[in-house]
Amino acid sequence: MLQILFDALSLGSLYALGALGIALIFGVMRLVNFAHGDVIAFSVFALLWPSTDALAIVFAGQLPWYLLIPFVLIVGALLSVLCEIVVYRRFRHASPATMMIASFALGFVIRYFLLMLFTSRPKSISLLPALGQPVEIFGARLPLLQLITIVATICILLALTLFLRRTRFGLEMRAAAENFSMARMLGVRANNVIMGAFAISGALAGAIALIFGSQTGTLDIQMGASVMLMAFIATVIGGLGSLPGAVLAGFLLGAASVVMQVFLPIDARPFRDAFVYGAVILVLLFSPQGLISARGTKERV
Amino acid sequence: MTLLSLTDVSVRYGRLTAVRGVSFSVAENEILFVTGPNGAGKSSLMRAIAGVTHCAAGKITLDGRDITAEKPENIARMGFSMVPEGREVFGSLTVEENLMVGTGMHGGAKRGRIADELASVYDTFPILKERRNGQAGLLSGGQQQMLVIGRALMTQPRLIAIDEPSLGLAPNITDQVYERLIALRAERGLTLLIVEQSSTRAVMVGGRMLLMRGGQIVLDGDARALGNSEAIQAAYFGYEDH
Amino acid sequence: MTAASPTMSAQAVPPSAVAEHKPARFALARKTIMTPILLSLLLVAIAVLTYLTGSRPFNQTVIDVFVRVTLVVGLYIFIGNSGVLSFGHIAFTCLGGYAAAWLTINPIMKASALPGLPQFILDLRLPYWQSAVIAAIFAGVAALILGKVLMRLSGIAASIATFAVLAMINTIYANWDSVTGGTSSVVGIPIIRTIWPYLIGAIIAIFLAWAHAISRSGLALRAARDEPTAAAASGVDIPRERLVAFVVSGAVMGLGGALTAHSVGVVTPDTFYLGLTFITLSMLVVGGMGSLSGAVIGVVLLSALIQILRWMEAGISIAETTIALPKGVQEIALGVIMIVILALRPSGLLGNREVTLFQRKRNR
Repeated sequence: MLQILFDALSLGSLYALGALGIALIFGVMRLVNFAHGDVIAFSVFALLWPSTDALAIVFAGQLPWYLLIPFVLIVGALLSVLCEIVVYRRFRHASPATMMIASFALGFVIRYFLLMLFTSRPKSISLLPALGQPVEIFGARLPLLQLITIVATICILLALTLFLRRTRFGLEMRAAAENFSMARMLGVRANNVIMGAFAISGALAGAIALIFGSQTGTLDIQMGASVMLMAFIATVIGGLGSLPGAVLAGFLLGAASVVMQVFLPIDARPFRDAFVYGAVILVLLFSPQGLISARGTKERV
Repeated sequence: MTLLSLTDVSVRYGRLTAVRGVSFSVAENEILFVTGPNGAGKSSLMRAIAGVTHCAAGKITLDGRDITAEKPENIARMGFSMVPEGREVFGSLTVEENLMVGTGMHGGAKRGRIADELASVYDTFPILKERRNGQAGLLSGGQQQMLVIGRALMTQPRLIAIDEPSLGLAPNITDQVYERLIALRAERGLTLLIVEQSSTRAVMVGGRMLLMRGGQIVLDGDARALGNSEAIQAAYFGYEDH
Repeated sequence: MTAASPTMSAQAVPPSAVAEHKPARFALARKTIMTPILLSLLLVAIAVLTYLTGSRPFNQTVIDVFVRVTLVVGLYIFIGNSGVLSFGHIAFTCLGGYAAAWLTINPIMKASALPGLPQFILDLRLPYWQSAVIAAIFAGVAALILGKVLMRLSGIAASIATFAVLAMINTIYANWDSVTGGTSSVVGIPIIRTIWPYLIGAIIAIFLAWAHAISRSGLALRAARDEPTAAAASGVDIPRERLVAFVVSGAVMGLGGALTAHSVGVVTPDTFYLGLTFITLSMLVVGGMGSLSGAVIGVVLLSALIQILRWMEAGISIAETTIALPKGVQEIALGVIMIVILALRPSGLLGNREVTLFQRKRNR
């Protein structure tokens, strides 16, 4: 039972972090950022030397953990900010559909850039190997990694909340997320807020990459995509632009997946995701604005 | 001294022209009312000055500097504070957070005055102080109107532009808002640019008045002198002699 | 766009025709028919050219172009007219592709590979054009059922719901081993190597799109897209009109699925998933979301671009030295070019305009 709870929480953590990264950017510029998944992949592949081998040739991976973690987070943040400056800045006034396709095209570019350097073969790597050992809690044997995933996610969420609630930059970001042009009329600098959102979102992508990479032990160029799909859905059913909503929906989706995995009849288990998606449609039908609708968010699609 | 000056400003939305070739200027410490019926282009004009709506043609200068294509945040940082129509409060932020959003643009000396400014806004609108930690979205319409005006004052502007300050406010509160604005004008040399649909308030307060119709300025003069003259009636209802 | 609303079309025809509805529609049809004719002629020209060169790989490339035209026009019928971005339409292509596979594979192979199919399908072996029609109808019916539920939503909620449909269908088809063969490929679908059936499929899609656009439902839907409040006030039942477009476009996507299946002879669930969704959506958006001509021209241009980049990747011989681009450059260049086009023309190459013989200014 405890195992199920922890499975649900750790899967939900990934979805929640992913959804948060998307919701942050959506909040400030109404962009559904399809390139986010590729930023996830990029930030962890930055640890490797370009090669076509199945075994990763690590260059920065030898770093001690206290350097390795910041390295990946910073790579994610930098890439994300770079995307903003080079590409998204030119799409500020474009329609959401155009922005979405542009972000997809950008993701495509990042993905094939990685592919060119590393080929599509997944690479095995042991990131933070010390975390693989099981620990015993309340009589259940749990991988230490799972525990750390959950704790790290909670810490990230707390830090982000504090940042948004207690700092001037956070205040400006929340104001801009709600009503961008009003915030600008109050002197909030659009570029700073948007770049800040991209930086945080990119760092979150780095965090996901680290967690995912150490959980699976392999790095795959497609690794971002699977998390992204659910994270994307979580962002919407959480109420696009609502950060607490995105987190809540991420955990709910994680829980729904794990619970269905356990309780569905054996024959139906392979179809688990189909049930999850069905549930998503139901949620949308009953509450099209999402679970927590972001106040003042006007639909533009 | 001229603070704000517009030359032949036009605003278009697609094929619709909301403002056509408007020119006027506002002197420092002046009080200027822009009045006119619904759809006269008053709000579009305000949004164009604030930089949130693109000018199709013309030139706008603030303090001698061309701000026609300037970003809204830079215009705000030059001391132009805009209260748009429709009470755009940040609903999920608390009342006090709303007031603080615009105070980030000042560094150094002015920052010390933020606390004083907050106190003075609370003084004018005690209800805001009472609900300072409440969610702004939960305020009543009138309270939200107070909040947006207070929020604009918090930026310590040189020129404040308010789109329909009396909308949704009880008459006695409207009186208080105007009293406060006029006091600030006397104390700090604040310049006031106020949009109202009716000319009543302009006539009461005095100052200069522009009358817009169909995207153009049709009258410009002293509010009290124009008063309820026939010219105003004609401008509002379109009785024109041919 | 031919006309944004019923009122606009009424203004465009002579006053005598306004009194009666049918002549007005007829006049509108006459006025706009040039667009599908010109677009079809473009495709026919490409086909004839291909036929004359007779090169085998080029033949296959052009077949791919025609299949994509069918798919993107199918997308346009819903997205262009309703203004709602759908990520789910490739699900109908998936349904169509598998339906075509079920109906045309040799019964002996079917019995071993897909034992879960009902007996009457297992025994069936139809010619490809019959299977394509049935595939389209099957996808249309699926769109009707799903659309009944989905069309109550609008805006981004609708987009995500269609996305969920895509993921749901993909999960089902990837796991229902006895009927779909799971994630492994379903082989043995008769491969049609001549370009003409694909040309006809694409032309049918174009004319269907045109007919829908000038139908009362299509006009009402576009009016609702441009002026939702006004359209609702004048009695346009938006969910209903959207459903009509959804079903028509679902059927065209199904047809495209069948064509895809016959063009390569293999179907897998991943053929019809995110990759195809995004490439077709990109073609539509690059061409111009609100324009039928944009849909067709977007496909032709991007396909040409992809082909050129492929050739460059394979290597070009100049003065006995072969210059080849490294692998992956093709996709990167494609992405970059798409971003540049969108940055320069955010509403696509054609925006809302259509190609006609005369440079008459239509719509906005």
